[in-house]
Amino acid sequence: MKKILSLVLAVCMLLGLASFASAEELPTLDQITLGENTDLAADLVFAYHRTDRREMLEGYVKEFQKIYPNINITYDLVTDYAENALLRVGTDNWTIMGIPTVDKDELSKYFIPLGSLETLDGLYNFMSAQAYDGVCYGLPSTGNANGVLYNKAVFEKAGITELPKTPDEFIAALKAVKENTDAIPLYTNYAAGWTMGAWDAYIGVAATGSATYFNQELPHAKDPFANRGDGTGPYAVYKILYDAVKEGLIEEDYTTTDWEGCKGMMNRGEIATMVLGSWAFTQMQEAGDHPEDIGYMAFPITIDGKQYAPAGGDYNFGINVQATDDQKLAALYYLKWLTHESGFTFSEGGVPIDKNGAYPDLYAAFAGIDMLADEPALPGEETLLNELNSESELALNAGGNTKVQEIIEHAFNGDKDFDAIMADWNEAWSDAQEALKVEVK
Amino acid sequence: MNNIAAPSLAQRKKKINWQKVLLIVTFSFVPLFLLILFTYVPFFKMVKFSLYDMSYTKNKGYVGFNNYLKIFKKDEYIGAMLLSLYYMAGAVVQLALALFFATLLSSGIKGGGLFKGIMFFPFLVNGIAIGYIFKFFYTRGFVLDTVLQAIGFPLEKLPYWLRDQSVNNWSLVFTSVWKYCGQNMVLFIGAIASIDPTLYEAATIDGANKWQQFKAIILPGIKTVFMLNLILSITGSLSAFEPAYVVGSMGANGTATFFIKIHQMAHVNNKVGMACAMAMVLMALIILFTIAQRLFFRYVMKDSDNTFNSKANKAKTLW
Repeated sequence: MKKILSLVLAVCMLLGLASFASAEELPTLDQITLGENTDLAADLVFAYHRTDRREMLEGYVKEFQKIYPNINITYDLVTDYAENALLRVGTDNWTIMGIPTVDKDELSKYFIPLGSLETLDGLYNFMSAQAYDGVCYGLPSTGNANGVLYNKAVFEKAGITELPKTPDEFIAALKAVKENTDAIPLYTNYAAGWTMGAWDAYIGVAATGSATYFNQELPHAKDPFANRGDGTGPYAVYKILYDAVKEGLIEEDYTTTDWEGCKGMMNRGEIATMVLGSWAFTQMQEAGDHPEDIGYMAFPITIDGKQYAPAGGDYNFGINVQATDDQKLAALYYLKWLTHESGFTFSEGGVPIDKNGAYPDLYAAFAGIDMLADEPALPGEETLLNELNSESELALNAGGNTKVQEIIEHAFNGDKDFDAIMADWNEAWSDAQEALKVEVK
Repeated sequence: MNNIAAPSLAQRKKKINWQKVLLIVTFSFVPLFLLILFTYVPFFKMVKFSLYDMSYTKNKGYVGFNNYLKIFKKDEYIGAMLLSLYYMAGAVVQLALALFFATLLSSGIKGGGLFKGIMFFPFLVNGIAIGYIFKFFYTRGFVLDTVLQAIGFPLEKLPYWLRDQSVNNWSLVFTSVWKYCGQNMVLFIGAIASIDPTLYEAATIDGANKWQQFKAIILPGIKTVFMLNLILSITGSLSAFEPAYVVGSMGANGTATFFIKIHQMAHVNNKVGMACAMAMVLMALIILFTIAQRLFFRYVMKDSDNTFNSKANKAKTLW
């Protein structure tokens, strides 16, 4: 068995060397131009999670084939993408995929380099997310700014004239909604799970105003979930959820929430707010007859008089290192076309990836609010946050849905107060720091 | 039997039919190869992984039995194991119901085939689909509440079937009973059908009523199938997954069974070593329960076995 394994390994390495040699001929993303090499022929498999956008994506392929008629792209859209992709990433049954949670130092094992961070950073937004050692391995599909979805008509009816800027104002607004309208003040989408994990996206930039907090300071922070006392920090983010549940400002039966159904409810004004990334905005608009009612605001935390919105790339597209050279090149052209020509980010209400791209209207309420992208981890610590997430089992912004669901359960059943929950998280975090011998500052 | 002379060892040796041997080896090669490749190799890999601190992509080294120790140190996992008790209670109800219906349908009732089909149907439905059916079934003001209201229960007195932690595990257990009851029933019907019908006749002549017939003829007659069903249900309870994952929103709200914890450990927390250790513990538990059950029933069934044999003998002597 071992002999066979080592033989396979040796062959792989030889092949790897061979492909490395030819990889020098493979251009980087900035070196290629759309419209050249139009007789390139290849079959690509594109693994992605947007099952709700199959028609649109397949339309892109047809458009793209007007320039490259011999490149054929099959979309393999998967619902439980995050887990599925993690199992597939080491295989050769895909050509392009949305990069799952892979440690940064292992990116080169699965994905081809797209170019140097220095060059690409000048051309595209959010390039540092899947970069290691100054090389980019992923190109963001679209950018998201994280805030809160709200229904303008409901807010008006509830008599809210100014958008809430602090946790207290937000809870007050929810109460006003409950008193003056029939709408559900805050819809948690508890049952879907991932919609709960989405709350983790606000503990960095939105809660601290610092672009370095999430990836650089949090791993070394002592008791990151402690109460800062001024309505900021991770504590304040989850406290909003806890208080909203405790005050009865969420849906009546949270265990049977329905994600597809909630879009129409939001559109019809049966839901006042939902805490989700900007990508959800267009889906809410499309779900009914009142697209004009859907609004987007910054997360209600104010740091020194200023609000911040975390922005960042959605899934990054990576190209399989095991693909043939033709496939790799074809994939590069398609990614470039998607970013520059498809109009995907604009129609999805995303922050453009192309630095010259246009911003959609939904960011109107973000005037005067700083949009910051999380800075990447410090050199040598690229995998630290992932490891801490795994060790502590909190999985912050990495699928840790259960812990946020538990906040709702405890708040509703009244069996654990909020400070005790945060104390548990702090303990889990510091135990993980200790286990991994992380320096705590 | 004893009158027929058995061939001596030497004679037998000569009779080895090489063609036959070759045939056996060739035919068993493929299934054995598949069995080893897909069952035993992964199993021993799992045993090995359970001793390492590793994720899917990274191995951080050998940790001995640390993973196992961690499982027993956390109340969370013990609590998850205790959730199996709900499903075991459900399994007992399920078997009793299945046995009841099987006996009823075996007595030549009108429309028996139709009922059999109706009862068996849930087992044919995909578990995920069942999950979604029951999600709506339990939603406030939907199917279950409407039916109960029609009978006369006021809505405000009804619990939230999935939200209230005092009932939500029972709600999930019910979905499992609903699905597997029909399958158990069909197995029981099959077993009952294999009982010699003359025994009933004999028993009736002896003056035995239906209950006595059930106790003395049917129950001992289907002992093996009953045991099998019981073991499968109980071990199934230990590794309950589907209802809690689909209806219970991936094990939220205190419905996370041990199996779901394993899934989360491997796929959310990326601790594959730990997840393998948990899987090993689950397997050990299942083996333990199976042995315990066998011992228990060997003790209990001894009696009924004798009754059955004596009855059978009686029946034979009658003829």
